[in-house]
Amino acid sequence: MAKGTKSYSAFMNFLRTPTPTLIGIFILIILLFSLTSENFLTIQNIKGIFNNFAVFGILAAGITIVMIGGGFDLAIGSTAGLAGIVSAVLLMENIMIPTVLVFIIAVIIGCSVGLINGLIITKVGINPIITTLGTLAFFRGVCYFWADLNPRIYNEFVQSLGRIYIGNVFPITTVYIIVAFIILSLILKFTRFGRDLFTIGGNESLARLAGIPVDRIKIISYVISGFFCSIAGLLLISQLGSGRPEYGTGAELEVLTIVVLGGVAVGGGKGNYLGVFIALVIIQTISNGMVLLDVPVFLRMVVKGALLVLVISIDALRNRKQLQLY
Amino acid sequence: MADARSTEAVSRKKIKLNNTAILFIILIVLFCVFSYVGRPFFFSRLNLIPMINNLSFIGIIAAVLTMVMVSGEIDFSIGGNVGLTACLTALLLERGVPGWLVVIIALAAGAAMGSFNGMLVTVIGVNSIIATIGTMFIWRGIGYTLTNGESILAMNPVIDYIGRGFVFKVLPFPIILLVLTFVITYIIMNHSKWGRKIYAIGANPLASYLSGINVKKVKFTAFLFCGIAASLGGLILTSLSAVGMPQHGQGLELVIVSAIILGGTALGGGRGQILGTLAGVLILSILYNFLTIMNVYYFYIQMVQGAVLILVVSAYEIRQSRIKRSV
Repeated sequence: MAKGTKSYSAFMNFLRTPTPTLIGIFILIILLFSLTSENFLTIQNIKGIFNNFAVFGILAAGITIVMIGGGFDLAIGSTAGLAGIVSAVLLMENIMIPTVLVFIIAVIIGCSVGLINGLIITKVGINPIITTLGTLAFFRGVCYFWADLNPRIYNEFVQSLGRIYIGNVFPITTVYIIVAFIILSLILKFTRFGRDLFTIGGNESLARLAGIPVDRIKIISYVISGFFCSIAGLLLISQLGSGRPEYGTGAELEVLTIVVLGGVAVGGGKGNYLGVFIALVIIQTISNGMVLLDVPVFLRMVVKGALLVLVISIDALRNRKQLQLY
Repeated sequence: MADARSTEAVSRKKIKLNNTAILFIILIVLFCVFSYVGRPFFFSRLNLIPMINNLSFIGIIAAVLTMVMVSGEIDFSIGGNVGLTACLTALLLERGVPGWLVVIIALAAGAAMGSFNGMLVTVIGVNSIIATIGTMFIWRGIGYTLTNGESILAMNPVIDYIGRGFVFKVLPFPIILLVLTFVITYIIMNHSKWGRKIYAIGANPLASYLSGINVKKVKFTAFLFCGIAASLGGLILTSLSAVGMPQHGQGLELVIVSAIILGGTALGGGRGQILGTLAGVLILSILYNFLTIMNVYYFYIQMVQGAVLILVVSAYEIRQSRIKRSV
């Protein structure tokens, strides 16, 4: 009986999160697209949808951690681009470096960018958005050091990283995302780090007074984000088969939309990976549906921006604690 | 009590004066160094006139954005606004709309964009940084959609005059617009009730609300002005390049926000000087112009822009925390 009430209250808590609304929206969108386009509900197309969101999903995994802690990371696109192009250059045939070492270097690059962001934000005390706006531009510039090399990926292992389908239907990249989301959810729920992160996002000065090492945990969250950026960079060069300095440009807009739609509060302290995953599928389905419906490429940009504004407005209305007077 | 307050006011005034003065000294030193290192190209008519023209459209937007930032908000959509205004102007000119009407429509479009931002921030209560990142993409996307990604020639006597005209055959017209904008914003910020309200709101919105200031209205108006200023900047840029294209003003927010912060405006609001912004705009403009003159690859200039933003904010943040500690 006691167990029953507990699961009942857990169910009620789940109903209070934005996730059920998301599922509703998702069903509506699928109905809409499958009625308007006959190619939407084909295995080929669904395969495409799932394989396309690999990079955004991995980036969303990292930024969710940062945003739950009340931080922000606009530099994800640039970090992924940097890790991608450096590994692509290292994988060029005339440089004989073992593939494992390339991966390690990519991860080190991602983590150090995250560390730099975290150190500037916590130790100097700058607004995270401004900091990562600066590093966004900076590291994008660094990417262009290798602009003339134009590396191609011939390494079969790296190619297969983002292109394998399990049973010829289910892309392996989706497995990566699900594994990453599950591990991160468990970390958030069952470790001290996760609970501290929620506390910091909810009320930072309170967390400081409670003796939580706020700076350290925030820095770790940015390093985690940097780590996932490097994985996303590797996936990018794997799926596209080459390294270009502009890879990942504008990813922050898309990922931000996904994460906020998924119910991660902009000020921090709220968020779960189930919501983010559903939002990821929704946003990718919308992108895909716009392609099928022949929406002009530039109009898609407007729709994406409008979607972000809409999602953020809903988030602001939902998280408004009291009547806003000023 | 009154004594203490007045001495505090005097010392605060001294610090402010020093800040802006230091910036202008840095500006002069940099200008001399650049003129020497970049000779003979930097200090020549062929470089200085375009530089000043470029600087004027950045300065106009920066001056008005300073008001928004002092009120504690920010507007990143200025770059997108510039792009959309440029496309709109070129398209209307192509359709044969008279020049003066195009100018009015462009400014009205800017006002509409500014008030949309203002509505999002004040009525719905969205964080202004993220809201304007979203609207930035919307404006630019509309620009791309309208022109289909192409650049459109924009030739018209009125539009040409805005960016490339000379008053009395000596003074470039954009400079007049720049000076006018700075004079007006200076008077507003330092000698009007509305300007005082902006400072009060930036320093403490709750206290301002309780003392009877209509916080939302003031913020909304600041965003509205910012939209108009950005579209004026877009008109100047269209005129300077004689072409309207959706890529106009890309990355502008980075330069302008760094210039404003370099000028001493606090990110959280409440502090900031129009003259400081002027100094910041001048310093960054001559810096980036110098890098271009020295043949630095564009993407490395972008890198420098990112680094400058972080360095400037860090410098002010560290100084601020030192002042707090010493008190």
